[in-house]
Amino acid sequence: MLSNSTIMNVFRPAIKGPASVSASSFLLTSVRTKRTTAKSSGTTGVSPQVQRVTTQLSVLSARKKQPKMLKLCPEDLIKHQTIENCWIQYQRDVRNRRSKTLEKQFKSIKTAMNTLQEVNPVLFKLASEATTTATEERRFPLEYRIPTDFPPNKDKVWCHNYTSPTTKNN
Amino acid sequence: MSIPVIRKPAIRAGLILSRTPIIAPELTKLESQYYAYQSELEKRLMWTFPAYYYFKRGSLASHRFIKAQKWPVSKAPGVWYPRGVPDIRHGRERRLKQEVVLPKEKKDVTESTGSTGGSESVTDLTDASRPIVPNSRITEADKLNDLKSLERQLSRTLYLLVQDKSLGKWIFPSFDVVKDTTEEVKPLHEVAEDGLRSLVGPNINTWTVSGTPASVLKQENDVYEFLIKSHILAGNLELTKKGLEQIGEYAWLTRDEIKEHVETSYFENVEFLLAK
Repeated sequence: MLSNSTIMNVFRPAIKGPASVSASSFLLTSVRTKRTTAKSSGTTGVSPQVQRVTTQLSVLSARKKQPKMLKLCPEDLIKHQTIENCWIQYQRDVRNRRSKTLEKQFKSIKTAMNTLQEVNPVLFKLASEATTTATEERRFPLEYRIPTDFPPNKDKVWCHNYTSPTTKNN
Repeated sequence: MSIPVIRKPAIRAGLILSRTPIIAPELTKLESQYYAYQSELEKRLMWTFPAYYYFKRGSLASHRFIKAQKWPVSKAPGVWYPRGVPDIRHGRERRLKQEVVLPKEKKDVTESTGSTGGSESVTDLTDASRPIVPNSRITEADKLNDLKSLERQLSRTLYLLVQDKSLGKWIFPSFDVVKDTTEEVKPLHEVAEDGLRSLVGPNINTWTVSGTPASVLKQENDVYEFLIKSHILAGNLELTKKGLEQIGEYAWLTRDEIKEHVETSYFENVEFLLAK
């Protein structure tokens, strides 16, 4: 019953006498320490280590955590299939539009380069070299940004105070 | 040998300078509806949140969490349930999605009730537990419709257009390829980049994707304009003396706005080069 508390007799009068017997002279102090026995009700009585492992395993297991299987009625099933088909069609349209544009751009580059070769072979050679040879300027820039869902704070939206390290034109 | 070849047709280097989007594009109606549907489906099929793993039993945090939850209707004998008999495991109605409510801190409540200005949130930036308030996707440049600002239309690709004073038309900036001796011929992309810097000042950081022209525009009197694509990464445009002489104005425009500014034939030639 009192497994986690001890009664400490702080002061026990040595001599029995009328002068020493009073309320303040006899103290009983109860101190709580760590529980060493399991509670009588509620737990299975396993050690904390075992309990921890059980909890961790039950997080991974599907038992008791899986929702009920989703059973759609025929009407809902048709609705779902329609939505999915619509999405597939939409994705296909986007893809087709994109590939058509890419094709146009590729053809445009080809015609531009062919024209350049006819018009000015020197510039054509320079343009081809500039594309194929890797220089420091050709590197992918670290400052290039990836779009986010929301813009950064006001002063970070755009770097306004950029100064070029080598002033190309004076 | 190649000198007579250079002299005959005039060559110009045009520059399509773009500012890539800073924020993700706006979702279309179909996309937002489909994503909402999928997220609801996913929530319905999600496993029950194991609160017993995250909150120690009997702790204050556990009590706060339990108090914040909206518990489902429990099953009792002899009761008729019009929406089906409850099937509850771990405090979750298995037939429905589980809504996990995070207990609100006292701070959040006071801030949401009292309509505080922006000044307070600025001072609070060091507080790591402050509520997350996303910045507006519409900037001040959008509200003012400032076409010269690089901070407008953050979700779209912007292109630099200039108003040529001699032609009186809006065009992409283009520059003559200087006919020097054959040895000192500059490649097209360098001509375009240097030309741009001579107009709008050197304090811009640009990245030219390739030396290869993206397109060629054949103009009257045998002038070929080769378009080079480039991105602006940092810096502001400040018109130089030469720029003030040559171009009246410049503007950062989206594809739709370019259509309104330039001539129809010009737009049809460059339309496919511009992002939507």
